[in-house]
Amino acid sequence: MTPKRLGWAGIALGFLAFFIAVPPIMLRSIVPIVVVAAAGVVVGVLAVRGGERRLGYGAIVAGVLGLGGGYAATRSGEANLEQVVVWGALLASTLRYATPLTLGALGGLFSERSGVINIALEGMMLMGAFFGAWGADVTGSWVGGIAVALVAGALFAGLHALFAITFRADQIVSGTALNLLAVGITGYMYVAIYGDQGTPDDLPAVPDVSLPIKSVPLLGDVFGQLNLLVWVALAMVLVTWVIVFRTPGGLRLRSAGENPLAAETAGLSVVRTRYLAVMTSGALAALGGAFLSIGFVHTFSQNMTAGRGFIALAALIFGRWRPGTALAATLLFGFGSALAQRLPVFSPSGAVLFQALPYVLTLIAVTGLIGRSIPPAALGRPLPKS
Amino acid sequence: MSDELPPDATVAAKLATYVRAGGVITPLITLLVAFLIGGLAVLITGHDPIATYKAIFNGTGLNWLFPWTSAQDRTIAALNLQQTLIVTTPLILTGLAVAFAFRCGLFNIGGQGQYVVGGIGAVWVGQAFAGMPSVLHITLAILTGVVFGAIWAGIAGLLKALAGTNEVISTIMLNWIAIWTGSYLFNLGGPLQNTNPAQKDVPVSNDVAASAKLPVFWGDPQLQGLHIGLFIALAALLVFWVLLNRTTLGFEVRAVGFNPDAAASSGISVARNYIVVMAICGAFAGLAGTLDVLGWQFRIAVNDIQINQLGFFGIAVALLGRNTAVGTFFSALLFGGLITGTSVRNLDPNVFEPALATNLTYIIQGLVVLLVSTDVLVIWLWQLRRRRRTVPA
Amino acid sequence: MSGPPLLELKQITKRFGTLVANRAVDFEVRAGEIHALLGENGAGKSTLMNVLYGLHRPDEGEIRMDGVPVEIESSRTAIRLGIGMVHQHFMLVPVMTVAENLVLGDEPRAGPLLDYRAAARRTRELSERFGLAVDPEARVQDLGVGAQQRVEILRALFHDAKVLVLDEPTAVLTAQEAQDLFGVLRTLKAEGTGIVFISHKLNEVLDVADRITVLRRGEKIDTVPAEGATERSLARLMVGRDVLLRVEKDEHPPGEPLLSVRGLSARDDRGLPAVRDVDFEVRAGEIVGLAGIDANGQSELIEAIMGLRRPDAGTVTVAGRDVTGAGPRRTLEAGVGHIAEDRHRRGLVLEFDLAENLALREYRAPPYSRHGFLHPRAMVAGARRLIDEFDVRGGEPETRAGSLSGGNQQKVVIARELDADPQVIIAAQPTRGLDVGAIEFVHRRLVEARDAGRAVLLVSLELEEIRSLSDRVLVMYEGQIVAELPPEASEEDFGMAMTGAAA
Repeated sequence: MTPKRLGWAGIALGFLAFFIAVPPIMLRSIVPIVVVAAAGVVVGVLAVRGGERRLGYGAIVAGVLGLGGGYAATRSGEANLEQVVVWGALLASTLRYATPLTLGALGGLFSERSGVINIALEGMMLMGAFFGAWGADVTGSWVGGIAVALVAGALFAGLHALFAITFRADQIVSGTALNLLAVGITGYMYVAIYGDQGTPDDLPAVPDVSLPIKSVPLLGDVFGQLNLLVWVALAMVLVTWVIVFRTPGGLRLRSAGENPLAAETAGLSVVRTRYLAVMTSGALAALGGAFLSIGFVHTFSQNMTAGRGFIALAALIFGRWRPGTALAATLLFGFGSALAQRLPVFSPSGAVLFQALPYVLTLIAVTGLIGRSIPPAALGRPLPKS
Repeated sequence: MSDELPPDATVAAKLATYVRAGGVITPLITLLVAFLIGGLAVLITGHDPIATYKAIFNGTGLNWLFPWTSAQDRTIAALNLQQTLIVTTPLILTGLAVAFAFRCGLFNIGGQGQYVVGGIGAVWVGQAFAGMPSVLHITLAILTGVVFGAIWAGIAGLLKALAGTNEVISTIMLNWIAIWTGSYLFNLGGPLQNTNPAQKDVPVSNDVAASAKLPVFWGDPQLQGLHIGLFIALAALLVFWVLLNRTTLGFEVRAVGFNPDAAASSGISVARNYIVVMAICGAFAGLAGTLDVLGWQFRIAVNDIQINQLGFFGIAVALLGRNTAVGTFFSALLFGGLITGTSVRNLDPNVFEPALATNLTYIIQGLVVLLVSTDVLVIWLWQLRRRRRTVPA
Repeated sequence: MSGPPLLELKQITKRFGTLVANRAVDFEVRAGEIHALLGENGAGKSTLMNVLYGLHRPDEGEIRMDGVPVEIESSRTAIRLGIGMVHQHFMLVPVMTVAENLVLGDEPRAGPLLDYRAAARRTRELSERFGLAVDPEARVQDLGVGAQQRVEILRALFHDAKVLVLDEPTAVLTAQEAQDLFGVLRTLKAEGTGIVFISHKLNEVLDVADRITVLRRGEKIDTVPAEGATERSLARLMVGRDVLLRVEKDEHPPGEPLLSVRGLSARDDRGLPAVRDVDFEVRAGEIVGLAGIDANGQSELIEAIMGLRRPDAGTVTVAGRDVTGAGPRRTLEAGVGHIAEDRHRRGLVLEFDLAENLALREYRAPPYSRHGFLHPRAMVAGARRLIDEFDVRGGEPETRAGSLSGGNQQKVVIARELDADPQVIIAAQPTRGLDVGAIEFVHRRLVEARDAGRAVLLVSLELEEIRSLSDRVLVMYEGQIVAELPPEASEEDFGMAMTGAAA
């Protein structure tokens, strides 16, 4: 076996060690778990020796985590385990938590593929969350809410474009500014409009889609009852791939991010391409934010995105700026959130600590693999002035 | 050679260019524009911007400095100014935590997490060892907070040096991990929740022992007077300046910040600089959290950790202050004033609602960073100058 | 010839700040003509062509196509008018395929989608018609330099270029590839394309051009027919005086080896082998030239020697000390002076002032610092001494390095590296982008160092420079040293070795 395959096999063994300790298999003895996890670590060590350092260390980490998780599972009560690890519900919840991240990551993909760093996803998402709620309230329909959120996100992203592209600002600094600004704008409007009352209880919500597959085992539990926007996010992954990799516009988008001078000398307007990309980015991120406020929790609260825009950005990087792999990354982080939501069964006082899980996962993922992912060559570089 | 920047210039190089081109004028114009736009927001919500800004200004207590302020107003102004300076103290330090990183070409968005972790360290030591000699107890608590902050930020530096992890992402993730860990520590049943039976339903830490509290030198200790932490922050400004401009470490930091390739070629270890610089940044931010705990908060509640934003304000403080020691002091004072002037305690709710004003502060802060990010005005001035130059005489 | 020329540039003036890059330049190309634009680096050739291609706007003057005045606002206009450009640094997207690069900006469509099959087909048609062999599905980053250039030419032809501008097209080519290119250009000329051929190499220009226009310091000096012109007459027009072809040096036998490289192998940034089992030594009192075409592993070799790149195998010894993989600091301290390939990227911190740049090597030792604290006054004093000694003009110790001219910036680098009194000097492309005066200065300093018993490794893409300075010449090809030649060896011998054709 090649070191690379060894690495993947080790990672799989690490996961397996945890998997056999929880329902439905739920082995109660620590021995097989130790064996499987140790095998994962050994295979990981072999991979490292073979020269595949990143995957190898990934396998070692996965083995250790699998052992830790598996050990924790054997030590906890069967009843608790069965309450927490209900795969159907857990996966459905994973999809829900992943949705804003997916939309955010896709948004980031457009912007970054065009060569503009978008650290302002967080702020764009927050704008979408507020304007989605406000739009739904004012127009009395969730469609209106979505429309208002999209426009607000695109316009707000236009500000990023103005500074990053036209004024050639440092893109990370201007993106940070937008994040701060979004907190201020949404907070200001929220207090001015809703004051102490909060958003109304009868805020129109994006409907769920019920599929007649409820009786199908597992699939029914996962996909039977999901919010419309969850499906939209999944569809957008495919749409984004087609646009970016299969259309003339996508070719132009990528050329702007890889070698803007090549695009310019082919007679294209890099500035226009980047503006469009950044504004699309804002609209998508805002859609993710709108899902939070009128698809998921049905209210707006100040700074409610809580770093999800940054996790989306990390997922994009982790996913190497490609839609499919970015989706996989958001699902991983979504799973972390879904699990964190259910773990308090074990320890109420530890409940708060589990909230840190998705952020820890993101940190580990970004550290482990970021060196391998090669960003668009002109990312963060403004077009040279003539 | 022209004054134009290469497309891949580091932030440090860009800001150095802006300073050269615009001096102190552009930050001032930047502020003016930010306040004008903020005033517009006030106007839209049906309030009088001038009256609002006046009320906010009076809330800062800076009118204490004016000789024409009446004796009666002066008493209130003194109280307000003490509050402003209490907030200025941590802002100087979180500003330095961002500025020092920028000088090395790093963007430390993790000031918030480092501030929280520093505060946790300080409260942990401060609430224990009651009865220890005061100087010793304070020193120990400060050291713990500083080291906690340094380690927390050092993680990001280490990851950057070893695995090339982008510090922007890692420091943001570390912020949230710090916030949730802190929330856990002081929450009900958490390991550092208070041991007072009367407060067992309150998610707050024990109080810091009297021996670890910083002495107050201006105002009434009972009314949250101004503690000596301000002098520690001012000393930190001096340390920052000396470190950066008068030591070989600072020389390396600046070289790496402007051009990591050239620095590496002349034998400077870029990776080592990343770790050291992040640790120093964390030390500054950790000190900020420490001084707040030992100076006036004396305890940490879960709620404090969740809503505090002083670490994030450090970004605006550093950028407006152009990453210099003097600039950081003045912009910390400005934002300290803004935060105090818009607080529930200091702003007259009949003129403007404090909840709105707090968000107004965030808007102004965002605008300042946005405008500093590019210095539209600098570019405009340049073009003006160039146009004048190319017009035939 | 009848009718107006295909393309005319009239009285073009372009300024950058106070610098006048083009002053009232006239230039024209007729259909079916190869018109060379000749001049030294910095004579304004590229600026003129960027004006033509809409990348710069001229401050004064007029451009005419077929006698009609045109406004070229952007590359888009230029392409629409039928102007195609083959840039010195290829304007290609490395991660994309040849076909994708070709159709960019004018894509065949199938509904809303890009018609990849049509793109490949049209690429193939075009490459067959002009005899420019490329694989439409290949990624540009995997192609050799010659093939990338063919893609650039095809890209211009895809956009129906009537005028084809080639900016220093042979700089990156081997002798054989250059001959192939000339063949292609003659084919295009026969089809009626007007070709602008930009170069500073006299023999090529004489070889391929019909007419030659010479630029010097932004001004047009003359336009002459190629027939009847000689290298000497062109050189005189280009430089304004007779050129010095030989550098004077003492004759003396070399001493002990000071730099020895044994079995060195290293990889490039993409992880591919770039330096393979390289063996050589440089002895005291000699200049060893490292010749080769760009991107044959020279940069990686220097980085591996300097400790900036981790070698896979082999050793590097400086003055008897093993510094393999020891990192740049210890390599420098072992006695190496490094004149870096790219002074903006590696040689200088442009935002630092001259005093700081000149102390960049020695800032950790007295007098520049003590116990970790800098001594700014000593740095300024040291800088003042070096500025005098190395004749750096236009700067005080407090001047920002970025505000100096290229030649003076290079003097700063050389002053810093030579002041450390190194045993070994590694000079990588030390005269790139410098004017004649500065080039002479650099050459003189290198020869002085040699005569003082230092070991000098000179890496350059300019064969002329290598041959005039070196005592012996190593030729590098695809990461290997393929030949060692005396500098007097014929140009053909060098050409063969540099293209890997040597036995």
